[in-house]
Amino acid sequence: MMPTLQAVIGLEIHVQLSCATKMFCSCPNRPGDEPNRNTCPICLWLPGNLPRFSAEALEKATLACLALNCRIQKESAFDQKVYYYPDLPKGYQLSQFHRPLARNGWLDIVQEDETLQRIRIQKIHMEEDVARLVHEKEGKTTVSLVDFNRAGTPLVEIVTEPDLRTPADAMEFLRTLRMQLRYSQCSTCSMEQGTMRVDANVSVRPSGSNVLNAKVEIKNMNSIRHVGDAVAHEIRRQESLAMSKEPIVTHTRLWDPEARITSPMREKFEGPCVPDPSVPPIVISEKWLREMIRNMPEMPGLKAERYMNRHGLTREEALQMSAERNVSCYFESALDHQAPPRLAAQWIAAQLPPLLKDREETLENTPLDPQRFAGLLLMLEREEINANAAREVLRKLCESTASPAEIVVQCGCRQVSEADELEALVDRVILENASAVENFRQGASKALGFLMGRAMQASGGKANPRLLKELMTSKLKGDGQ
Amino acid sequence: MHSEIFAHVNQATCAAENHGRLFGKRVGVQSLFCVRGWPCTGGSKALEGFHPLEDATVIQRLKTEGAVLAGSTRSSELGLGIAGDGAAKAVSQGLVHAALMMDTLGEARVAAVKAGLFGFKPSWGRVSRFGLMGLAPSMECCGMLASNLDDIARMLETVAHIDERDPSMAADKPTGTSPALTRAGVFKELQDLLEPQERSAFSQAVSRLEQAGLTIREAQYKDLSLFAAVHQVIAAVEASSSCGKFDGVRFGHRASGGKNWNEMYLQTRRESFGPLMKAFLFQGAYFQFEDYAAFEQACRIRTRLVQGLAKLLENLDVLVLPALHAKREPASPRDIEELYRAFSLTLPASVAGLPAIALPGMVRCDGRDLGLQLVGSWGTDQGMLALAQRLTTLTQGAP
Ligand SMILES: [Zn+2]
Repeated sequence: MMPTLQAVIGLEIHVQLSCATKMFCSCPNRPGDEPNRNTCPICLWLPGNLPRFSAEALEKATLACLALNCRIQKESAFDQKVYYYPDLPKGYQLSQFHRPLARNGWLDIVQEDETLQRIRIQKIHMEEDVARLVHEKEGKTTVSLVDFNRAGTPLVEIVTEPDLRTPADAMEFLRTLRMQLRYSQCSTCSMEQGTMRVDANVSVRPSGSNVLNAKVEIKNMNSIRHVGDAVAHEIRRQESLAMSKEPIVTHTRLWDPEARITSPMREKFEGPCVPDPSVPPIVISEKWLREMIRNMPEMPGLKAERYMNRHGLTREEALQMSAERNVSCYFESALDHQAPPRLAAQWIAAQLPPLLKDREETLENTPLDPQRFAGLLLMLEREEINANAAREVLRKLCESTASPAEIVVQCGCRQVSEADELEALVDRVILENASAVENFRQGASKALGFLMGRAMQASGGKANPRLLKELMTSKLKGDGQ
Repeated sequence: MHSEIFAHVNQATCAAENHGRLFGKRVGVQSLFCVRGWPCTGGSKALEGFHPLEDATVIQRLKTEGAVLAGSTRSSELGLGIAGDGAAKAVSQGLVHAALMMDTLGEARVAAVKAGLFGFKPSWGRVSRFGLMGLAPSMECCGMLASNLDDIARMLETVAHIDERDPSMAADKPTGTSPALTRAGVFKELQDLLEPQERSAFSQAVSRLEQAGLTIREAQYKDLSLFAAVHQVIAAVEASSSCGKFDGVRFGHRASGGKNWNEMYLQTRRESFGPLMKAFLFQGAYFQFEDYAAFEQACRIRTRLVQGLAKLLENLDVLVLPALHAKREPASPRDIEELYRAFSLTLPASVAGLPAIALPGMVRCDGRDLGLQLVGSWGTDQGMLALAQRLTTLTQGAP
């Protein structure tokens, strides 16, 4: 009988760094501009030019390494990855093959059964991107056009150990990686926009075995979901090969997102890597590295812990507030202005997104600043307004620069909590709805809701619901005695 | 006029406006140096019609210091060897006072001696390589030729400046005025590299150096014979990479008739390079693709050679050896083997990145000038020129 098979998955992730310039020249790092706008003699690689390694690329690459818990190497260097193709007009790509910037990193992922698994990262190296080829028809002949905007833009390549076992884990790893990298602000990490590209290496083996069998590389996935689908497809393909005792050979396959299958692609010629004599080795001083570490933002994992321990958030709330840097910034800023933590977390998670979406704003550019937002939540917490009114005031806060207190006065929605005012209100409602009162006394609890609704209506929605309910209940019961 | 010497003659050689260090000096630059507006063909069809957009940094420096750029001198293909080179002729015929010439295997030193001139190769990393048609980046330097050492010293002062456009330059500045250099070493193993007549001519020259006041010591260095192989493997690999950009797409000669891009590349490169360059590139590609371990070993040995020479030079100021062989013609090698055999005496300084100067008229063998070559510690360029000046004065009378 065939033993059950286990998949072994490793990922290679190319991430475009959010730098102002390319890696070895001062051209803008904007590959999407009109073709061949962002070029110069260096990135066109005209004779006589020498690469000048960008300090910003090193900073952003280091952020990526630190965000993925890697050990930064004191000395790293660029090699020439030699191959001849029209997207690489100098005949080699500058890439850190022999001496990468960082090694031995890791990321913890939450598996489907909610247990944590540590995925090891083998290395992270810097490299320049190549030009983009566009194939077009001119009449009946195919022409190949080269757009050099992307040539020389800064990348890091992240290589994991083959520690992943399921498509779901691979997807979770990528989501965690993306969160970490976005947090450190080294990249936008968008697979859809091509600032993050993922290749997956997949092999299968009998469960419990330690051997690494021939692996198949899959490319061309445009979203994290596609990675999961493509890996799942490849595992099934290899399992059925193994069932029918057919050999699995190392090769590369392309994912077709329409047909949802992979198909073999022509092997790209793998050339040698020789040390580059013109870019000096990158030497990292301890002082510089300490400074980089000091400037690293608190990462989401630690942040979530802190939100739970210090601010009493639930795990879910803490994860929501920590997963994205702009959200946590807004949240912390609101806390700095004395917003009640849990209320702030709930409102940032539930109330702000639809409002901002309506107004086509983001947390960074909305006129609703954290200070006024915090002021509103404070009024809500102190029961100066009720939740309905607070939602109304929130909307108005976006449209003016007035303080929450001023808006509450303007729209007259201050909550009525004064006992005699509420008492008069309750008395009137009881008088006017004799039959409902009678129903309540007969034991129809629904009648309480009806009477509460009437009272709230009479207050213009401003009555403090908690006090109102207390008062109503005691009056109804008291009258019965 | 002088078309066998100049690839391009500057028609606008009016007197320079800058009264600098090189005011009024006519300088020729090999066609491997980018000069804005001039063709820069580097002796190769691969650079046919190529006009650089900018001056090389050294060209800028020359202009700033008031030099008159006479034109670009003809070059061997991409500066490999001295076949067809016009730089030395331009100086020896008095067309220019001085010339800039790439020194990769020792071309500037050897061409100078053959023409009865002084040839100097600075320490690697002291002169910017920005704007130079690189072939073997870790071996090549901007060399200089002149009929007197004063012009060489002026040229060196002009071009030896840190340039942010060449990040491979050494950041540490060499110490300015060093104490007079007096201790010279002669490799014991040199006898294995020289013919008997060359040996006797060289030892006569060494005796004259001793009479002129130098302390001569024998230097043991069993690795001396390894420099040639190490240079050849590494330079060929670097050349193979450097020449990847000659694809006929953006500049230079482009073959017609290819059915697709790959055929166009192949045909273009077939038509662009001469036989010697092709052989060199084949060798480089061989080590890149087929025997990377040999290349790695060459790199390891190079590190050992560099350290070995540095150690020898801890107790010596200069190493002395001839610049060329009596019977090996450097200007017309039939293949790479012959080329390297002709340059075997200049390769150590290139491999180790050390400053070296070749002095004419001091080692004569069978009517041929072998040149006296001094190789110093890294960064002692100025001190070496001073020593060369002293020796020239003492052994040949007043200049
Ligand atoms: Zn550029």
